[in-house]
Amino acid sequence: MDSRGLLWFGAVSTVLRVSIFAQAAVEGRVELPKSHPAPLMAKRYEIVTHGGVLSTEPPVAVVYLEGSFPKPSSLPTKQIAQKNLMFVPSLLPVQVATKIEFPNLDDTYHSIFSYSPAKRFDLGRYRTEERPIPSAIFDKPGLVTLRCDIHEHMRALVLVLDTPHFVISNPEGRYRLGGLPSGHYVLKAWVDSKTTREQPLDLKNGQTAHVDFP
Amino acid sequence: MNTSSRSNKSKVAAFRTKLSAAMMLVIAAITAFGFYLAQRNVTRDAERGLHQKFGTELSALDKLLALRQAAVTERSRTLAANPRIHAALEDNALDLLYPSAKDELRDLMENRELSADQMAKMLHAKFYRFLDNHGAVLQPPNSQDVGALSAQSEAQLAFKKLPENQQLGYIANDDSPTETIDEVTAVPIFSTETGEVISALVLGFKPLEIVPQVRGTGMKSGVWANGRLHLPSLGKSDTESLAREIADVFTDFKKPKNSLRVAVDGAPHLLFYKRLNPGSVYPPAYEICIYPLAASIGQLHRLRWQIGGVGGLLLLGGFVASHFIAVRFSKPVEQLAVDSEKNRAQRRVAEAALASTTEKLERSTRYSADASHQLKSPLTVLRAGLEALLSREDFNPEIYEELSTLLHHTHRLSGVIEDLLLLSRMDAGYLQIDSAPVNLSQLVQEWLDDLEALPDSPEVKIEKEIPVELYVAGERRYTSLIVQNLLENARKYNRSGGCIRVRARSRDGEVQLKIGNTGQPIASNAQSHIFQRFRRASTGSGVAGHGLGLNVAWELARLHGGDLKLVHSENDWTEFELRLRAAQPAQSA
Repeated sequence: MDSRGLLWFGAVSTVLRVSIFAQAAVEGRVELPKSHPAPLMAKRYEIVTHGGVLSTEPPVAVVYLEGSFPKPSSLPTKQIAQKNLMFVPSLLPVQVATKIEFPNLDDTYHSIFSYSPAKRFDLGRYRTEERPIPSAIFDKPGLVTLRCDIHEHMRALVLVLDTPHFVISNPEGRYRLGGLPSGHYVLKAWVDSKTTREQPLDLKNGQTAHVDFP
Repeated sequence: MNTSSRSNKSKVAAFRTKLSAAMMLVIAAITAFGFYLAQRNVTRDAERGLHQKFGTELSALDKLLALRQAAVTERSRTLAANPRIHAALEDNALDLLYPSAKDELRDLMENRELSADQMAKMLHAKFYRFLDNHGAVLQPPNSQDVGALSAQSEAQLAFKKLPENQQLGYIANDDSPTETIDEVTAVPIFSTETGEVISALVLGFKPLEIVPQVRGTGMKSGVWANGRLHLPSLGKSDTESLAREIADVFTDFKKPKNSLRVAVDGAPHLLFYKRLNPGSVYPPAYEICIYPLAASIGQLHRLRWQIGGVGGLLLLGGFVASHFIAVRFSKPVEQLAVDSEKNRAQRRVAEAALASTTEKLERSTRYSADASHQLKSPLTVLRAGLEALLSREDFNPEIYEELSTLLHHTHRLSGVIEDLLLLSRMDAGYLQIDSAPVNLSQLVQEWLDDLEALPDSPEVKIEKEIPVELYVAGERRYTSLIVQNLLENARKYNRSGGCIRVRARSRDGEVQLKIGNTGQPIASNAQSHIFQRFRRASTGSGVAGHGLGLNVAWELARLHGGDLKLVHSENDWTEFELRLRAAQPAQSA
């Protein structure tokens, strides 16, 4: 995850020019790894592990545009709920400084915590009626693995991105990212905890670029 | 005789000594063998018993150890499943590992006085450490929570590569003033995501101690690890020397033993050892138990005395028995020696007697022969002289009568000499019988005819029952002599008006000739030696005879393979029986 942080840094430094007002889009297809039949225990959960690599099942990709974009004054609060002993959604890309609430929709206790370097937090044990809804602000880019101290199988991934432009592909790997400023960028596709692909991208106003990640 | 009996006695004594010596040797050998067997058995039994005890005590220890290991395994599995531990290990938050484990392992570290059994169950650990995925020890942020451990001791916990199985090891802990040994159990922690070993939890315990099943056996136990012996109940110098001995055993793998004899405080002990952590990646460690051999040695001493006593008694008994047996055995030998000596003496006497008898006999035979020859010549001269005188016609008639009587006596003398010559030849064994069939019927008839013709024959009637052609085996002149002698006797000792009866018959291959006559019978006390030389039945002195006739007849009858017996002599009747072998008449006759 340290290496990913470096990548981020590098990606940001490669942005040459930013056009704030121009509108462009990019679409394409990310070649996703084949759907693995998950181990029986984890089948009902979306985050699966293969050789120490966390990914979603079925596989999806997060495509995001790296660059230096103005910081928004406020960001909408997101939610990852715990329902049926699962995190919903199990993969959530957010912009840096986003606050995520973790409402407990189950009848049991949950105890959400993360030891990931990008965000360490521990919400402690709480029930569905806990108010305010326990939350955490993700102020550092990186991949954060969410766990429950009580239910060891529960996993969720929060991909904290230093960009407002990101999208989750459909299970076929198709994506479309619109409302983008023109300029030279690096387009990245997060596939799993160990794999992030990237393509250089030239965006022009009113144009839709086509970038596939083979 | 005296010296030989003495030598016999010494021989018997030597035999007795040898016999006793052999018996004592056998008894001594048996006693020694008994000694050896008993000693071996006692030693072996003692060792076996102690080994069994060691096994029992060790198995109790093993049980506790297994219990503890199982508890540790269970604990580590729980720990590995703990999301925080996982998060710390998998999400690269090792700094959070010890804090996360602190709560989980707090109960382990709580210092409470517990029994060994409880300790095993309650997992009262002295310290714990996590290893990173390379096998190195992860430094705890605060060693108070996880149990203090020197860097040196801590280094002993590390692996070159994380093991996939639980490992049992023993490390020296020099934190405390006296060096102690800690039992460490390393439990691998598997990633729930990858299934790989990502860490290991190493728990340190105070080693379980063997609790003797029976108190007061003097058993001491400890652990040998990393070339060092930890036997707290033993003195330092003893421990060091013992450690050297054990090290020698462990380095010499060619000679696997399960026990060895050692000296502790100068007293013999039996040492048993068993690997505590077979198959472990940690250096081998052994449970060491030493048992004093005082009890078994005491038993051995007692047994030695007992066997020695029994052996001594056996030896004594054997000595006495051997003495008696030797005496008993030597008696017949002694008797034999005496007997043989006696026999020898008797034989010598008999031989001497025989020699002298033979000599006497020879001398008498020779004398008799010489005498006969010497007598014959003058007798012939005398007879010739008397006959010459008788042929003269110028003497008085009384002189003729005297001369005639003298001549008659020379004839008698001649007969005596003839008989003596014959007897001497027979005695000397020179007389050979030239056996041929002899017509006995004819022979008897001839002699009867002669008998009647004799001038001085008394008036006797002659009865005869003789089958014709009765042959016997013999030489005619001697057979004739027998018959002549018998018939002459019958005539000579008859009374006037008596009778002579001659009967002969053949039966079973022999011929019986019975010649009986009337007249005064032979006195009963004279009957037994009637056939001896110069013996005459004391009858009338007027009867002519020189006492050789019957003897000659008897000797000749015997020489012919026959016999002559007096069968009857009483009431005016005397009868002789001659038996001779029958023969078939010659073919030519």
